[in-house]
Amino acid sequence: MHITAIGARRLPLADRAHRLPLLAVTVALSVAAATVRGNEPDASARVHAERSAITVCATCHGARGNSTQPKFPRLAGQNPRYLAAQLKGFRSQTRGDPDAVSYMWGMAREFDDAMIEALASYYSQQQPEPSAAPNSAQLERGREIYEHGVASHGVPACISCHGADAHGTQDFPRLAGQHAQYILKQLASFQSSMRDVAVMRGVAQNLRTAEMQSVAAYLQAQP
Amino acid sequence: MAESDREPDFPGTAMDGNWRSLAAGAVGLMILLAVSPQAGAVPSFARQTGMSCEACHTVFPELTHFGRVFKANGYTLTSLKQVRDVTGNMKELLELSQIPGLSIMAQISDTQLKKALPDLSKSAPGVAENGTVGFPQQLSLFYAGKIAPNFGAMIQLTYANDTGSIGIDNTDLRFADVAVLLDKSSLTYGVSLNNNPTMQDLWNSTPAWGYPYALSNAVVTPLALTAIDQAFAQQLAGLTAYAFWNESLYAEVGGYRSAKQGVTNQLTGGAGPLDGTASNVVKGVTPYGRVAYEHDWGRHSLEAGVYGADFRLYPGAGVSLRGPTNEFKDVAEDFQYQFLAEEHQVTLSGTRIHESATLAASFAGGAAANPTDTLTTTRLWGTYYFRRRIGATLQYFSTTGTTDDLLYPPTAPHTPGVVTSANGSPDTRGWIAELNYLPWLNVKLSAQYTWYSKFNGAGTNYDGVGRNASDNNTVYLLLWFAY
Repeated sequence: MHITAIGARRLPLADRAHRLPLLAVTVALSVAAATVRGNEPDASARVHAERSAITVCATCHGARGNSTQPKFPRLAGQNPRYLAAQLKGFRSQTRGDPDAVSYMWGMAREFDDAMIEALASYYSQQQPEPSAAPNSAQLERGREIYEHGVASHGVPACISCHGADAHGTQDFPRLAGQHAQYILKQLASFQSSMRDVAVMRGVAQNLRTAEMQSVAAYLQAQP
Repeated sequence: MAESDREPDFPGTAMDGNWRSLAAGAVGLMILLAVSPQAGAVPSFARQTGMSCEACHTVFPELTHFGRVFKANGYTLTSLKQVRDVTGNMKELLELSQIPGLSIMAQISDTQLKKALPDLSKSAPGVAENGTVGFPQQLSLFYAGKIAPNFGAMIQLTYANDTGSIGIDNTDLRFADVAVLLDKSSLTYGVSLNNNPTMQDLWNSTPAWGYPYALSNAVVTPLALTAIDQAFAQQLAGLTAYAFWNESLYAEVGGYRSAKQGVTNQLTGGAGPLDGTASNVVKGVTPYGRVAYEHDWGRHSLEAGVYGADFRLYPGAGVSLRGPTNEFKDVAEDFQYQFLAEEHQVTLSGTRIHESATLAASFAGGAAANPTDTLTTTRLWGTYYFRRRIGATLQYFSTTGTTDDLLYPPTAPHTPGVVTSANGSPDTRGWIAELNYLPWLNVKLSAQYTWYSKFNGAGTNYDGVGRNASDNNTVYLLLWFAY
């Protein structure tokens, strides 16, 4: 399987440290403004993307995007605009959480826009399978945080961006059914700014570990 | 590690040209060829895919599920820019990575035996220096990566301090492709051309890439070894075909022929044809087969499988390549369990190789005491790593087999023993404990201790001239890196 594309821009890690403020803006903007140009991927890009998804991406992300390994996110049913923005973030090396650096910077470095859009479209059309229900004692606390935030230390409600069903919107990711472990890692990456997204840094910085665990467990249990 | 037909060091075990000792070489040579630390950690794969070592390895050379799939796909996954050529109808003529898949690997070591060996100089008695520095023990150049679409390779050239020369090491050329089946599952299929049975395998439970991943080459090694257990590494050429369905069910069949290195035909002065001056030449084709099933769930991966080969060998070494052969029928089981979390990595693995030997040639020639012998090798090990940085491995190993005092000969008068067996038994048993520290993912510092409770048939005085199994206990310090 060969992934072919043109025109990746790469920044060495050492440079990133000096450009974090700029990257924060870039990522925030790309999350907020990334588009899939409104066009459906053409047929050849669609075929190529499906083949790549089944023969390459599936090794980590599972058949049809339903990953069984908590290290790797479930992609089935993910919002295409969000997914395309992330793939572009990997390609430009502006999304810097540890597994993005270790795996996805390489995977995405030669993706062209057509491939990114076709992959995003493919995963958005896959049916999410239910995840295993985690520790039920955490679910109620998780739901409370998701719906209402934690007023005592300034954590806003997740529901306001990710939606009542946690299916997200065009620009905000679907979280329902996502591996709790993956969500925890992302929250930690937002806190440390390794994954530098201003809005999520603001949300995550006041979350306590037990609260993160509860909300992650709640999200994994959602259909 | 590259091997050649090394001459043994001690009189009494030398294949000195007479039929009797030469035929014993059917097994004996395997032993001499067998000290084969492997090496597989190839940064050019990381350059090619743009992914960190951790995508394919827990800690090198052990593969993750992703690494197994990458290998099955012929090492061709790439995200490098390509130099291309296409015809007018867009048929691809060339797809060449802009960076060649080259890597360098080195092993630098120090070895200390518990008890020094006898000094073989004429002014003996005395003892050899104890403490062997390998600088390098091994230095390798790899080409590892895509060659063309669907065609990739791992080719290793190695300089080793024992041979003092550069030779071919583990080499695997693959053509592979993936079919998407009607149910949208994947079927990876391909062929491998390789020079060491099991080096093409995907799991680290089989001999070529099994633990120990590195061993000293300045130690005393037991006499007995099964044929499939790297006895013929780099002395065979095999073509195998495989299929890997849904990244879980794996099946492979193929065959191996002799492909000797450093052996010439004395008439032509060329690399062949092989004749009776060569030793242990495969008659016809050695069939090889492998079936394995891997189940992955959450952070866990479990594999169980079987593999085997049937070697029919002409002893050669002065006897023409005709008439009776020695047959070594090897059937083995293996398993591997991996738990891979963010901070903790646990691997449990093992294999058991059962060999049925029908020694028609050696028995007729008076070089084996029995017409048939058996040999069983078992290895079980567990590895733990914390953050891929600090880890430890503990392995139990055991070889048991039929007593045969011609295959596993006693010490001859006025010779030093050490590599002999007073009672003709091949039984050897012990443990290896290893500590590892990796300051970076491509640099490993190891301290390894090998402890023998039994060696060539006994715990004490195994050679009949006073050496105990534990005298061969070894401390091995290793710096191992690849770039």
